Amino acid sequence: MIKSKFQQEPAFAVEIRNLVKTYRSSFKGNPDDPFYKRIFTRQTFCAVDDVSLSIKSGEVYGLIGPNGSGKSTTMKALLGLISPTSGLCKVFGCDATRVDARSEIGFLPENPYFYKHQTSAETLKFYGRLCGIKGKELKERVDELLDLVSLNHARDRRLGGYSKGMLQRVGLAQALIQKPRLLVLDEPTAGVDPIGSREIRDLIFRLKEEGVTIFLCSHLLEQVQEVCDRVGIIFEGQMVNDGTLEELTSIENQHELVIENADDGLLESINDLVRQHGSSGAKLVRSGTPRSSLEKLFIDTANERKRKEKK
Amino acid sequence: MANPQNRNFQKTSFISFARIRVIAGHTFTQLMRMKVFYFLVAFVILLWGAKQIILPNETGGDSSPEQELRLIKSAGFAAMNMFSMILALSATALLIPKDIEDRTLYTILCKPVPRLDYLLGKLLGILVLIFVSLIAMDLVLSFFLNQKASAIIALQTEQLVGIGMPQEMINEQLAGLKAHGVTMNIHYAAFAIFLKATVIASIALLISTFSSSTLFTQILTLVVIVIGLIQADAREYATVMAQFGESNTLSNISLAIAVFFPDLQFLSVEDGVIDGRNIPMKIMWQISIIASFYFAIYIVLSWLTFRKKEF
Repeated sequence: MIKSKFQQEPAFAVEIRNLVKTYRSSFKGNPDDPFYKRIFTRQTFCAVDDVSLSIKSGEVYGLIGPNGSGKSTTMKALLGLISPTSGLCKVFGCDATRVDARSEIGFLPENPYFYKHQTSAETLKFYGRLCGIKGKELKERVDELLDLVSLNHARDRRLGGYSKGMLQRVGLAQALIQKPRLLVLDEPTAGVDPIGSREIRDLIFRLKEEGVTIFLCSHLLEQVQEVCDRVGIIFEGQMVNDGTLEELTSIENQHELVIENADDGLLESINDLVRQHGSSGAKLVRSGTPRSSLEKLFIDTANERKRKEKK
Repeated sequence: MANPQNRNFQKTSFISFARIRVIAGHTFTQLMRMKVFYFLVAFVILLWGAKQIILPNETGGDSSPEQELRLIKSAGFAAMNMFSMILALSATALLIPKDIEDRTLYTILCKPVPRLDYLLGKLLGILVLIFVSLIAMDLVLSFFLNQKASAIIALQTEQLVGIGMPQEMINEQLAGLKAHGVTMNIHYAAFAIFLKATVIASIALLISTFSSSTLFTQILTLVVIVIGLIQADAREYATVMAQFGESNTLSNISLAIAVFFPDLQFLSVEDGVIDGRNIPMKIMWQISIIASFYFAIYIVLSWLTFRKKEF
């Protein structure tokens, strides 16, 4: 009666409660221990220590932290690739260690490698068939996804000749093959050029609009800030901060005004006004011309170039 | 694109032949694109060479024409044994560690694919490839053997008729030669080689589920094969020694080995076929049942090891 168990839509798409994962090292012990203990004692290493987080349905959640902080371990526990030492992971109310949970998860690993002897169309068909999709439905789904990740032109080329960015896009397409409700992305833009990175980001927005819940790990903090509704910061296996971007990043006692086409007189008046209120503690912290990002400059230049080439 | 609303979890069956078929088909294609069938060219050249050999007449023992037919069969079966053993050993030892190393395993196990399906699919893909190869080699062997046997029989008939031997005696003389030609026994021997490869592949699969390197899997499987090939002789020797009151320990050790290691010698019928003996159907049933028993045991052990393995 598994089906009836999940009839009711659970409150959270992802629920991780008090997750602990320890690994045993090789046969090495404390050097102060007697000899036999050194030989026969195994040290334990705690990769994730009492991590709890929850992601609402349709939310984009970013987990950030330095290398070795426990991001991947948390992800693997959610995907059922490892069993928690203690605690639990649930996906739409279903225990993540169960195979059933995987029918609603799409996963893009960091730097995905696929079978080089296959083409992108064959790869997607293979993963689609594993999910029980077949016939016309599978063909249409493969065409749709190759269009979505802009790989239709290379659909019959073997993956051995694909660039890193193209492989990343194949990875994203295979993650979406069974129309999952939860998408888990591990460094989704690793090794992808800024234009490809922007495309992936746009795709994340589009999926979010369609109600897909997204859980991503990334080192690119700017990107996480741009796409995520909520962020968790993990450090040495422990969750040190968790909340909405507004809660985590806003400086409550400061305000920002961006004025377009202001002349010097207006700016001087604003400065005077702030000075007049100086007794209440108000002061101008910073003023100047806002800068565009290097990424935006690169994309604008590339687009301009493409337009010229087309002409 | 995605339709995440109002969906319930699909129950994933414990075992699905459709999924196993998808993984097996993919493994078969993967190995085929590694150009393993080039071995068949070498096989054809080997048998063509064996067919050209004309042995000088000798006194006593088998006549030279019979020995020439034995030579073709010996070369054919040796090559078939070697090819199927190498493929069963190396392909099985390679595929799973390669999937782990390339992280393609992550993307497969993150789909609703039970680990038993994955194991069976991989193994079945390898076995189908071995089966197809052995059928091809069986056909090639039968072709060359038939050519040689027909030529020898024609020549012998001509010579015997020439010296005025009665037809009945000629038939008697030729019966021995025909037993060395193409009979069902050739195909039975090819099938027995396939059964042996099945057992070897399942041993390699079991070892690869707990081993961390391809080389270790290959070496350990090779050790098991050697034990499997000599254990019957060792057991017989120990039993004889025990009868003479020499050592019961040796007998006990050889019996313990027989419990844990397969008796590959029992599955070999090629020597009898090379000698021109008839293989009764009962023997074929017996070795099929024994091989299936070994296969089932090793698959269950592989699954027990692999189902909780962490990646």
